[in-house]
Amino acid sequence: MKIGVKVMPRKEVLDTQGRAVENTLREHGQKLNQCTVGRYLVLDLPDEEVEAAMSRVRAMAETVLYNPLIETFELERL
Amino acid sequence: MSARKVGVLRFPGTNCDRDVWQAIEMSGGQPEWLWHADLFDPSAYARLILPGGFSYGDYLRSGALAARAKAMQSVREAAERGVPVLGICNGFQILTEAKLLPGALIKNESLRFNDDWVGLRMRNSCRYFASQVASQVASQARSAHVMRLPIAHADGRYYAEDDELKRLEDNGQIWLTYEKNPNGSIADIAGVMNASGNVAALMPHPERAMADWMGGHDGLSFFMHGE
Amino acid sequence: MSRVDNLDEKLKKYRLNRHELGLITERLGREPEGVEWALFSALWSEHCSYKSSKVHLKKLFNKSKRVLESFGENAGVVDLGAGERIAFKIESHNHPSFIEPYQGAATGVGGILRDIFTMGARPIALADYLCFGEPAAPRMRALMDGVVRGIGGYGNCVGVPTVTGQTEFHESYNSNILVNAMAVGLFSPGDRIFLSKARGAGNWVVYAGAKTGRDGVHGASMASESFGADSAAKRPTVQIGDPFFEKLLIESCLEVMAQDLVVAIQDMGAAGLTSSSFEMASKGQVGLRLQLDDVPLRDPTMSPEEILLSESQERMLLICEPEKFSAIQAIFHRWGLDACKIGEVQDERVVELRWHGETISRIDPDILVEQAPQYMRAFKPWKALHRVAGEADVKTGVEDGARFLRSLLGHVHGTSRSWIYKQYDSRVGAKTVRDCAESVAIQRLPDSGRGLGIVLGCRPHMMRWDAREGGIDAVAYPALELAAKGFEPLAVTDCLNYGNPEKEHIMSEFVASVEAMSTMCEKLDTPIISGNVSFYNETMGRNITSTPATGLVGLRDHVDAIPHGVFTREGEAVYLLRLPMAAVGGAAQEITGQAPTGYGQLEPSLIAPFARLLRVLTGARNEGPLVSSSRVVGKFGLAYALARMCAGVVGCRIEEDALKTIRGDLTVDDLFREHLYEVILTALPGREAELEAAVRELRGALTMASFVRIGRTIGAQLEIGSLLKAPVASLAESYQTGVWAAMEKEVRA
Repeated sequence: MKIGVKVMPRKEVLDTQGRAVENTLREHGQKLNQCTVGRYLVLDLPDEEVEAAMSRVRAMAETVLYNPLIETFELERL
Repeated sequence: MSARKVGVLRFPGTNCDRDVWQAIEMSGGQPEWLWHADLFDPSAYARLILPGGFSYGDYLRSGALAARAKAMQSVREAAERGVPVLGICNGFQILTEAKLLPGALIKNESLRFNDDWVGLRMRNSCRYFASQVASQVASQARSAHVMRLPIAHADGRYYAEDDELKRLEDNGQIWLTYEKNPNGSIADIAGVMNASGNVAALMPHPERAMADWMGGHDGLSFFMHGE
Repeated sequence: MSRVDNLDEKLKKYRLNRHELGLITERLGREPEGVEWALFSALWSEHCSYKSSKVHLKKLFNKSKRVLESFGENAGVVDLGAGERIAFKIESHNHPSFIEPYQGAATGVGGILRDIFTMGARPIALADYLCFGEPAAPRMRALMDGVVRGIGGYGNCVGVPTVTGQTEFHESYNSNILVNAMAVGLFSPGDRIFLSKARGAGNWVVYAGAKTGRDGVHGASMASESFGADSAAKRPTVQIGDPFFEKLLIESCLEVMAQDLVVAIQDMGAAGLTSSSFEMASKGQVGLRLQLDDVPLRDPTMSPEEILLSESQERMLLICEPEKFSAIQAIFHRWGLDACKIGEVQDERVVELRWHGETISRIDPDILVEQAPQYMRAFKPWKALHRVAGEADVKTGVEDGARFLRSLLGHVHGTSRSWIYKQYDSRVGAKTVRDCAESVAIQRLPDSGRGLGIVLGCRPHMMRWDAREGGIDAVAYPALELAAKGFEPLAVTDCLNYGNPEKEHIMSEFVASVEAMSTMCEKLDTPIISGNVSFYNETMGRNITSTPATGLVGLRDHVDAIPHGVFTREGEAVYLLRLPMAAVGGAAQEITGQAPTGYGQLEPSLIAPFARLLRVLTGARNEGPLVSSSRVVGKFGLAYALARMCAGVVGCRIEEDALKTIRGDLTVDDLFREHLYEVILTALPGREAELEAAVRELRGALTMASFVRIGRTIGAQLEIGSLLKAPVASLAESYQTGVWAAMEKEVRA
């Protein structure tokens, strides 16, 4: 089973990468309100139960995949 | 056009621009700034240099945002007309992102920034850059270690797909290789050229090896005029 | 809730006490209202006001004919002659780095760089003084990794080389690491020095750089508090540094200054807009009227209090004449940044804050900046604890010298720091002559071709032995390192990291060590011209080793023939230049689990002429160089220092008889004791007699100093009489691989 983990900068924290990409896109004449840059991880797990898999991935996210001080994460089944 | 006029590209975040400027002057050239947001006349320059640094903070991918800057249209035109173009470090990354050179530069195998001195071999000579060294190489064994230059990069691992790599080998486009691979580059590649040989780039920093007090002067030949 | 409870809550929230509230009320002639609580909380915090240290700092030796700017400005400025001047400063970022090591260290580097370029100097070098806990302590490897990546991530990108550093490990830093960053900037001939004094009624207050977010609100007052178990929960929003943005800010600010478009300029550091605006007004003896509605915000829902206290990075405050604003704005725009007017200068000595059409505060800036309380915290006259009578009581307990030496070279305390410094760009700027691999970093000044030496100091094992001697050593040892490479030490910056100043024993160490540093500086004529104080490095009642980190700069006429740090040629005469005053078992004892002991006293009035003698021997001489290599003997004593000089292929043979003439009974134990001070020198071939004659001639009244030929460089072997023999290759291998190979594995795992 594959689970996707979307890690994004927390709203109130400055997203330096997003700011740089956003400004470049604007320089190219593109209209946009904001650009935010995060990370996407795909975990392929041996689990068969969705619930169990999700809770394992949540544990993984909390121990290593994201930094709660500056990021948030969301899970989705693929 | 003065035969000594060298255009130095500046992008937001370029940080070896002043060092390259100094190196060009030390070698008797006439440096001139070229601003990322402006087009320029490619026929006005004897050569162009894209210095190192962190253009656009290396955000998204190293060199990716700079490769789309306006001035790169003029660089492309210059490259097509045969003007010699040299990329150093981030300049190398920009040239690959702009598809003016083959391959890509990805994160070092160590996943860390690496500052060091490396030994380099010249696999094939470039007519325009460090060509004086090439003539010395011819008189020595091919395996001779000919240069020592500093490196300082996090994304210096050269990557190309198998068929591309073979093409580079066959066409003699592999310019420089590391004596001891510092970053996991495929085939130990430290520098490559385009098919016509006028666009060349390397990860090491020749502008930081211009005098004995810097720790060596093997960088001088990259700024002297070849041909 | 009763009114009293309410007030206590409020005082707690703003980290003020009742006495301080009384002072505020008295000076304002009324009680503080609304945002004013936040203003006092920030500017009267220990971090901004130096309220526990100011009475002592006032006594520091801080003047010489070279000093152009000193405390009170963003950084100190020293005149090098020939039109060249340098600005430099060291600053702590300890608490933020413990919470979020990458961003904490990165923003530490960013902040110290802004202190330098805000004066108009182009940053040319960075240095880092780091203290970590034991590598096995909880989170420690992740903290080390994060801090090192953070420093590299910022410095490498912004394009300022990191040229030297010092890294210490001790259990006292287990829950409170130290991250001190130093920056050096250069004014080339013709460059003007810019100050932060606001001037000229009607001039505009201009905000430039990044937008304001909720980053680090209440950061300054947090840095003035000890860590508790719940500090994880109390974190303000982490400040995020953007070196790319800083690079644009450096270039645009230097351009604005080169075109002489600003009257005054200051970066927004701790306590952000509050400290920068009130300090600029107070220093310039003027007032300001600020429209908080005009501050560019990342989040439009921010309150005035948050706007005032935000510690968002990469922001500057400028004062300019109104007609110059459009030229300033054009420069910032060209670099992709914004600049906007947020207020005006006024003659009336009041800072007036406007929000939504109303005045929310009117305060004389001096009340916040100059009239913060000053405390004479309780302390006792200095009395050292680990002092012993003499040699017999300073035992390291080492028996097998070669084995112990190899283990030292591979131990976290004695091994190469290359794992750290290879992650830093040491050559960007193309001025680096010597880098982190050497005892002294050297940058070549491009206009004059002279050498600028940079070195950090403070050896915590000395501080644990005796805070007074440790304070002298924090200046003397780096000064000798500069002198051993022929540099004249010019000036000092210091970062005073201590525990809780409300505890008497901590304050006693502070007073003793700072006085000792100042005395040493005076004798060397190297004034302390910048720095900061970091108190409350205390976690759950446990205080760090008192650690007054120093940064010294020195000057040399040219960069040719500077003595090497290693032996380079066989057959050279090896000498020991000595000024015996004290000896400690310090570092070697601690490694074997003992308390650090020592005897004797360091005499600043002898150390200064000793440093001068050393500098003349190794400096740029018209008659040509005499010395080929040099090293000040440091922690772990003579054997370790010799091993470090045997780094490559050349070793040395030290004659036991020669050592006996100076040390009396020679034992293996003594080879690992540190005698303060000793310097190893080798003579260039054929210059031995000249070198010996020069010492005799220059020594003058310094009769305590001795100069003894102790051996000769040989092939690939280190030999100290019959006491210690080891092949050079095995020493080099221990030093180069050491624990760092293991560290790398653990960090990546």
